[in-house]
Parts: sequence; structure tokens; C-alpha cells
Amino acid sequence: MTCPFMGLAFLGRLEESSRKAAQWLVERTPVRSLRDWAISFSLWPVHFTTSCCGAEFAAVSAPRFDMERYGFLPFNSPRQTNLLLIEGTLTRKMARAAEIVYQQMPSPKFVVAMGACAIDGGIFHNSYNIVRPHELFPIEYFIPGCPPRPEAVAQAIVRLHEKVKRSEYGVKARET
Amino acid sequence: MSSSVMEARLLEKEGDEEVYEVFIGPQHPASGHMRLIVRLEGDVIVGVDPDIGWVHRTMEKLAESKEALKAIPLLERMTIIDSQNVTIGYVRALEKLLGVEPPPRARYLRTLLSEINRIASHLYGMGLAGIFVNHSTMFMWCFGDREVWIQLAEELTGARLTHSYSVPGGVRRDLPQGFKEKALKAIRYMEKRLDEYHRIFFDNPQVRARYEGVGVLKPHEARRLGVVGPNLRASGVRYDARLLGDYGVYDELEFEIPVREEGDAMSRLLLRGDEIRQSMNIIRQVLDKIPEGPILAEKYLRLIPPKLREPALKEGRIKFPGIFANLKLPKGEAVARAEMGHGEIFYHVTSDGSKKPYRVRVVTPSFRNVILFRYLPPGHRFMDLPAIYGSLDYFPPEADR
Repeated sequence: MTCPFMGLAFLGRLEESSRKAAQWLVERTPVRSLRDWAISFSLWPVHFTTSCCGAEFAAVSAPRFDMERYGFLPFNSPRQTNLLLIEGTLTRKMARAAEIVYQQMPSPKFVVAMGACAIDGGIFHNSYNIVRPHELFPIEYFIPGCPPRPEAVAQAIVRLHEKVKRSEYGVKARET
Repeated sequence: MSSSVMEARLLEKEGDEEVYEVFIGPQHPASGHMRLIVRLEGDVIVGVDPDIGWVHRTMEKLAESKEALKAIPLLERMTIIDSQNVTIGYVRALEKLLGVEPPPRARYLRTLLSEINRIASHLYGMGLAGIFVNHSTMFMWCFGDREVWIQLAEELTGARLTHSYSVPGGVRRDLPQGFKEKALKAIRYMEKRLDEYHRIFFDNPQVRARYEGVGVLKPHEARRLGVVGPNLRASGVRYDARLLGDYGVYDELEFEIPVREEGDAMSRLLLRGDEIRQSMNIIRQVLDKIPEGPILAEKYLRLIPPKLREPALKEGRIKFPGIFANLKLPKGEAVARAEMGHGEIFYHVTSDGSKKPYRVRVVTPSFRNVILFRYLPPGHRFMDLPAIYGSLDYFPPEADR
């Protein structure tokens, strides 16, 4: 950005200008690092089960692994969540729904692909009905395994915490 | 596919403004991967269309493209929470084709893992039934106690969920040391917990109000619709594939098939609790009666090179030689049934004499139970739908294959 006050000129369209001003402010260091610090402890995945890795996803939020201590609370509405966990294979029919869910989520939003199928098809690599999630979403972390152990999911979430705290998440995650 | 279903429903809607439609899913707080198209008149359900196929991963077609043995890990992804029971039918069908019988110790070990998996599967279903009526404690308790059984299975097989334990002719690992004490401890713990479940969930007046008398399935309806598993037995029909004595050692053990007469959502839930008790009873008997001996049929033990055979027998771990994956299936057909946590699974394997099966047909219990979504809810209030859904223990990846 060349001029620091570019978005701040009040030229009639007050609403848009103020939105830009707020955006400009939020993207600056003290506010932004505070925001990212806060986001990192409230990564709420949307309750969207795509395949059988959902069984381990349920185990992650169950008592033995209890990811809620890291602020990981599966929530129902995409509007109140910021993490999409692709749980295993994404079929063609489900991919359309996943895209809609992803578009509904407010920014900044993150995608973590769980399981071998979400990386490159895994055991279903030659199936006619699956898509690769990385073709649809900007993915922050892949979790290998078929299915990954809950500890592996926990590790990915902790890594994502650190990434968000350092404000290093992708440009795409911040757009819109 | 989904858009065509949607258009058909929207067209039908024109003209009757009394009835309106609610699309539930595929992103919803329940077990996911499916959509219910609910038609409502006020608050009363007049029709439900289950829109399935969201997790159709072409299992049957892929099984044709793999060697017969390699299809076992593939097929167990259908019901990852119950992976021994879902593959035992396929393994039995292969054994019938290959003309090989597992030794007694392997049959006992298979039964042991089958029952451990059944308990884990029922706890999964009960936990979800709890969260469906917003009873988070039940979800947390069930999933926490499920880990006990998963840990047992992990000790026995080496994997949390995807065991791939049974192979044609036997099992892959022997009983580890000290397994019996751990299993008995788990049984004692679970028996105590089942009483606590009754206190907090089954006898809870609020849960009873949501589940009792809801979604009643009459015995003749259940027979006509071809429902299987606990959903059928809760309607008073005593049918269980374990009684056929085709697999495992169920004919040598003493156990009951729990049956309930009411046929409502509550009885379907309570029946799962009864089955957990019976499964623990079976595990106890298996651990007492298990004979010594090899865990793989003699015919296949001879395939292992002599250098590897001795350590394999001593350690109780079978590492397969490459030749085992290239077993030629004799020409013919074979059929096998097995009882899963969700109901009876049916396999039909056709072979044309090559290494790969010509066709593998699977009829899964969830696919046979999905029809209940259409038949049970009409006439109920909208808020009864989660209770009915929760009580059916429907697992979509299994139904869609």
C-alpha cells in the first residue's frame, strides 16, 4: 500500500470507506497480532462429516483426547465457524456441499485435510466418484493416515495454532 | 444427482402451499453425510425423503480391480467403527471359494474381536443417540468408554479402527500376553458403567419423554420392509445372523439374543445396552474356552518360507509372503452372512478363476434400514425426527458403500 490513508478518504460512500478503514486498522501490527492470538484459541470446526474419518474426528472431541482444551469445539452453523476439517474422502456429490459450506464461513477461515484420501485419494485413488480437496480449497495442513490417529489430528490443530499466532496463514484464507 | 432430486422436490411443491419442505443436511449436527428432505404440515411431518449417496465411494467396483486379499482393507472402510464384523463376511465367502477352514483358535479369536467391535459400535450409536437429543453427557460418556474397547482391539490387532484382522484361513495375530486380565477389567468397568447409563440417560424422564412411544415399528412392518439388526429385534422378531453358525464359534457358546417387544425408539436404544451385556458375556466365555493351536490354516502355513515359519508361529504374528496376495480364486460363487453391530451384512462373491474377484456384491445393514426414515417419522412432530434418527443407528458410509 503506497498511501497509508488510501482507504480513509470519506468521499460520499461512507459505509464502504469505514469498512475499508476498519480493514486497514485490523491488518496493522498491534491489532492484527492481538486478533490472530485470539483466533488461534477459538478454532471452531464446522460439523461437516465427509467420510469415515469422522469416527476419529468424533474421538478427537471425546473425553480421552478432549480437544476442547485447545479451543476446538465442533459447531453446527458454518456462519459461526472458521475451520473446515475435510474428514477423509470427498465424493463428487459431497464436494459441492463442501464448497457451499466453505463459502458460507466467515473469514479468516482455514482448511485442514484429514486422512490419506484427502491428500490424493488414498485407497480410493482409482475411484470414479472422488475429488481431491486441494483442487477446491487452500489447505493449511494435511494429516496423513488411514484413518489418522486422534493424536495426529491434535498435532495438526496445535500446529495450526502456532501458524495463526505467527500470522502466517495463506493470503487466500484472509480474502473475502 | 443431488440437483435433480432437489428440482423434483421443488416441482412437486408447487400447488400445495400447505406443505412445506425442510432440507436437513448434508451439513448438519448429526452423524452427517446425508440429507433428509422433510415435508411438514405445520409442525407435523407428512413425509421424509432420505437423499443418500453422499459417501458413495464405489467399493464394489474397486473390489473388482484388486486381488481378493487386498479388498479386505478396502471393504472395512465401509464401517470403520465395526471393521472386523464388516469384513468377516467377505473373508468367509473367500474361504468357501478357496475351500479352506480356519483352525479353532483362529475362530475363537475372530469371535473375540467381533464382540469387542460390536460393543464399540453400539457405544458409538448410543453416544450419537444422546447428542441427537442434546444430551452431551451421554455422548461424552459413551465415546470415552468406547476408547476402552478400542484400546483392547488395538492391543490385539495393532490398529485402532482398521484391524484387517481376519484373512482367509485364519487371523493375523495371536492373543497378546496379559490380554485376558485387561479384557476382564474392561468388562467389569463396562458393567458398572451400563448401570450408570441407566441412571443418567435411560431412566432420565426428559430422555424418556423424547424417546418413548416414538417411531413405533410393528413386527409385521419390520418383516415386510426387510429391516435387520437391533432395529428388527427391538420389534420382537428374533433374527440374528450369529444364530446361523456360519462363522465364529457362536454355536459352541451360550448366549441370548436380546429381543424387545415395544418397537419404539427407546426399546431400540435399550436393546443396544442389552447386546453390550451379551457381548461381554461372549467375550468372557471365549477367553475361558480358547484352545491352543495354530492361528492360520495348515494349507497356508506351508506357503510361508521355513525360515519365517518358525518365528511366525512362536511370536504369533503372521507376515504374509508375496505369494499369498496372488491366491487364485477357483471359479464359482460364494455367499456369506455376518451380524454387524448395525445388523446383518451379506456378501456375494463371484469368481471367474482369476486372482481378482469378478464381482463382489455387498448388501449392508444400514442400506436395508434406511427405508425406515421414510416409514417411521410421518405423523410425528418435527422434534421427534432427531429421536428417530438417533435410535436407528444409521451409518451413511456403510449404506452408500
